[in-house]
Amino acid sequence: MRLLLVEDNRELADWLSKTLRQASYVVDVVHDGEDVEHALAAGEHALIILDLALPGMSGMEVLKRLRARGNPVPVIVLTANASLDGRVKGLNEGADDYLAKPFQIEELEARIRVQLRRANDRTAPVIACGDLVFDTNTRLFTLGPEPLSLTPREHAVLEQLLVKAGRTVSKAQLSAAIYDFDTDADPSAIEIYVHRLRKKLEGSRVQIATLRGLGYLLRHDDLTP
Amino acid sequence: MRINSLRLQLLAWVVLPLVGLATINLWTSHRNALATADLVTDRMLMGSARAIAERVAVADGVLDATIPPAAIEMFDTGDQDSVYYHVKTAGGRLLTGYPNLPEAPKSSSTEASYRDHRLRLLTFSHTVVGAGNDSPITVTVGVSLAGHDAMVRRLWFGAFAQQLALVAIAGLFVLLGLHRGLAPLIRLRDAVRSPSRSDLDPVEVAGAQNEIRPLIDALNAYMARVRAQMAAQRRFIANAAHQLRTPLALLSTQASYALRETASDQRQEALVALQASSGKLARLAEQLLTLSRAEPGSRRPRADRIDLTEAARHVLEAQAPAAIKRGIDLGLDETGPVPVIGDGTMLREMIVNLVDNALRYTPAGGTVTVKLATLDSQAVLTVCDDGPGIPPEEREHVFERFYRLPGAAEDGSGLGLAIVREVVENAGGSVTLADGAARGLMVEVRLPLAADS
Repeated sequence: MRLLLVEDNRELADWLSKTLRQASYVVDVVHDGEDVEHALAAGEHALIILDLALPGMSGMEVLKRLRARGNPVPVIVLTANASLDGRVKGLNEGADDYLAKPFQIEELEARIRVQLRRANDRTAPVIACGDLVFDTNTRLFTLGPEPLSLTPREHAVLEQLLVKAGRTVSKAQLSAAIYDFDTDADPSAIEIYVHRLRKKLEGSRVQIATLRGLGYLLRHDDLTP
Repeated sequence: MRINSLRLQLLAWVVLPLVGLATINLWTSHRNALATADLVTDRMLMGSARAIAERVAVADGVLDATIPPAAIEMFDTGDQDSVYYHVKTAGGRLLTGYPNLPEAPKSSSTEASYRDHRLRLLTFSHTVVGAGNDSPITVTVGVSLAGHDAMVRRLWFGAFAQQLALVAIAGLFVLLGLHRGLAPLIRLRDAVRSPSRSDLDPVEVAGAQNEIRPLIDALNAYMARVRAQMAAQRRFIANAAHQLRTPLALLSTQASYALRETASDQRQEALVALQASSGKLARLAEQLLTLSRAEPGSRRPRADRIDLTEAARHVLEAQAPAAIKRGIDLGLDETGPVPVIGDGTMLREMIVNLVDNALRYTPAGGTVTVKLATLDSQAVLTVCDDGPGIPPEEREHVFERFYRLPGAAEDGSGLGLAIVREVVENAGGSVTLADGAARGLMVEVRLPLAADS
């Protein structure tokens, strides 16, 4: 899952993104409200964490513009202003959730999970496809009874495929979801990750199918007629 | 004895002079009553004497005096007065009446004692035709003073009652007028004292007189000042809370990261960063405290005599390790003691903030110079750095609390220069920003030089 963190305090942005990456999220960071549009155009973000006190364009303005363009991406607003007024205003402007600083990272993560679940029309915290199970709370994959050990990149690809299980995911979509700005997006590397994932999934009931010219699709045997 | 009641004071000022005037008035009216009674008594005496004299006649060659009863009865006014008289010949022979009765001088009355009575006497001389050498006769009539005094009392008592009523009525009206006049003041008191007033709203008193209006206006102006000060305080506290939230979020994030990280070097890195963050947070809290102490009224004004040169040396010594670590050339340029008067702790804190700012914005390998001089009986402290400087149009704003230059990357609190200005102005000085010699910023603080002790 690729997240966009908009926070002007560089240190906080730095450590927040590090902590989120620990949990196998792909995180992009921008420090200025003006940069949000470019960032969103350059990648496929599943969620935005938006600080309200930003230089350039205020967080509220960013949110307003985002919703005016009809972008439905979930937004969790972070703010140092914990007043009721501020919270209500933020939610009215189209924020999906609101978190006042200082917060515990566990709470932020829980709220991220809730928003992602809601965005994908799921209610259960566990996503399964055959014997492949992803627990969104622990953010760990298990294959049958065994935990599945993955590199961050493999994790990102598999998570993306699992969330859209049964549907085609194009290489471009995968690429937009798994690379952050600091990495040169290399679509051909996707094939390598998929190759490695197929190896790790060998012997299970889950397969990554290639649809030439279209992309990839995660499916399990139970679905095949 | 001091009278603190406005009512009593005003009452005293009105009633006491009135009582004085009334006393004078009573005294004169007593004299008038006395004069009137004298006149009336004298007329009666004269009438009586004439009536007696006219009955003195020569009968058969003998001078005979018969006292007509009316001459005596006219004195019967119900006051049991005694009437004495005698009729004497020109030679002094007593024709009738009381012997030894004193005589009054010619054509005026007199008062004298006779038989334990005080008498008013009048002597009348009358020519009797055919009396020869015995003519003129003298008739002396005296009357005791009971009727006279009763008349004086009656005349005077009427005046006394009038005056008393006048004073009493005047006093009553003074009290009434005061009650009405002071009513707006009482309403003002009640309005200010009312328990529902906690918001320092302006007080409005209907019907306040022109004399009380300035008091109400002054009170309202005072409350407006207090309200503004409280609002500033609230803004500051809100701002401070706001400023503490992000660093606290950072601390908590770093701690969480360190807790979850299994790789020991990355965990180490997080812990080091955590330590630095908590140091910064402590510094921020310290600055907030300094700023609240620097506020007028929050700390007893102190007038220490401190040497800025020595204070600067101490600050630089304390900051030197940080400067060396970043390869910054931190130097002191001084020519001797620069004594000033002010709050020593706050002045040192001011220098700490200046140097801290300069080091913060100076790139590694740069130069920071603190210079002390005296100029025109002023102490001049300048701090020059190699940093990015502050554009002229921003120079007024940077003294505002929590103001950060747009795009400032360094992690300042936005409080340093606010503290500097507050402290310098409290000490009667001024602070200005200018371009550094080559680049960077020069902060110049001017303080009044302490007189030689």
